[in-house]
Amino acid sequence: MKKNIALMLALLMMASLTACSSSSDSTSDTTAAETVAETDSETTAAETEAAEIEVSEETTAAESAAAEDSDLVYIQEKGTLVVGITDFEPMDYKDADGNWIGFDADMATAFAESLGVEVEFVEIDWDNKILELDGKTIDCVWNGMTLTSEVTSSMDCSNAYCNNAQVLIVSSDVADQYQDTDSLADLTIAVEAGSAGEEVVTELGIATTAVSSQADALMEIAAGTSDAAVIDALMAAAMVGEGTGYEDLTYTISLNSEEYGVGFRIGSDLVELLNEFFATSYADGSMLEIAETYGVQAALIEQ
Amino acid sequence: MDLFFEQFPIVIQALNTGFLQTLKLFFVTLIGALPLGLLISFGSMSRFRPLSTLSRVFVWVIRGTPLMIQLLIVYYFPGLVLGNAIWGGGETGRFLAASTAFIINYACYFSEIYRGGIQGIPIGPTEAGLVLGMTRSQIFFKITLLQMIKRIVPPMSNEIISLVKDTSLARIIALQEIIWAGQSFMKGSQGISGAIWPLFFTAVYYLAANGLLTLLFGWIERKLDYFR
Repeated sequence: MKKNIALMLALLMMASLTACSSSSDSTSDTTAAETVAETDSETTAAETEAAEIEVSEETTAAESAAAEDSDLVYIQEKGTLVVGITDFEPMDYKDADGNWIGFDADMATAFAESLGVEVEFVEIDWDNKILELDGKTIDCVWNGMTLTSEVTSSMDCSNAYCNNAQVLIVSSDVADQYQDTDSLADLTIAVEAGSAGEEVVTELGIATTAVSSQADALMEIAAGTSDAAVIDALMAAAMVGEGTGYEDLTYTISLNSEEYGVGFRIGSDLVELLNEFFATSYADGSMLEIAETYGVQAALIEQ
Repeated sequence: MDLFFEQFPIVIQALNTGFLQTLKLFFVTLIGALPLGLLISFGSMSRFRPLSTLSRVFVWVIRGTPLMIQLLIVYYFPGLVLGNAIWGGGETGRFLAASTAFIINYACYFSEIYRGGIQGIPIGPTEAGLVLGMTRSQIFFKITLLQMIKRIVPPMSNEIISLVKDTSLARIIALQEIIWAGQSFMKGSQGISGAIWPLFFTAVYYLAANGLLTLLFGWIERKLDYFR
């Protein structure tokens, strides 16, 4: 009797230990079915692969690899393009009804439409964008993302579509002392960890204080824990100066000029499709129209 | 000051939505972790060696690693390593992943509290039960469990109050709880940008929730004061 209870508990224990994997089993049923469907459509769609498929043994591996590699097939099977964003005016932000709008959001919606899928916007922690992408919890990062070497090495990125710059933010009353890069040496500068701002300041050979977001960098100045911050120009325009929460701050010099792009998983076939989409929507003027809606037309890059 | 009064209703509404998510995670964690913890404590106390070793190693691993890492592992591991993002990218998936990590983590802490509570009870009443011919499970549910509940109220209240605040860790996988909601106004949301006060104001919510919990636990302790 005692042994039975012990055994039962052991089983329960195992069940609780494998709680994660058992829930994954139930979902993997559906995804397994999906992969089967995927491979089916793959075979019918790509007749050329038929030769390969007949080579029995290796085919299963080759086939599933092909299906896995095609992001387009993966997204069309699931019917949604999941776009990773942060709340970032004017690129991705919510309107009064709680819908995601902005230059990037509208472009992403139009792109998803061209692929014949629904668009879903998901707010992510910016530090984890690569984790989210590789973990397939999102399908692309489309949020005014600066094309830094860090970004381009860990994602496959689209062509640049928008210009931006990194600007120096200081308190208004000392702004006239910091109008060139030589004057920055004695400042403590707050930057977002892993951001383009951190990269440019480090390149200048100036020590930085890394914080978790651009907003935190601004708070550092307001709280007096840092003298200055380096953030995106588009964001600076929206966040500092008259009528914002940081009326005493202002931005002075641009430290570089840079470009925004959209990031996909490495090897994704969606990059090429998006570049084509950018080219056609630039050519027919719809991209410019959307840019004008959100006042970023001056920064738009010709496709 | 005018700006503040203009912002206040918008911010409060967003914080309320965030706090609702915080409370959801809190209650789901309790509902899952309270019974699971008891199960793990039985495992740890088992005289069946493999089971007790397994339970204790499990508790060691979960208590020995940061909850933040556990959240990242539970949410990203399936997609990154197994190539199958079981949770999906949406809000629901993030909530389920966060709940799973919290339930497992808190169940391990609870299990040790239960174990302490059960093992600290004198053998007398159990022996009396045996003499009266009660079965082991009758003795546990009618004698031991009740005494244990009374004994573990203070340490449990500690853990449960910690839990209210620990829910904020779920923002690492972008679960939009109250800290997330507060921070969103710093970078700009719903026309408010660069507002720092909403983040600090979230403390008021935690304080209120924990005030209520403190009162609740005081009341429970008084109610359970039927024997010493």
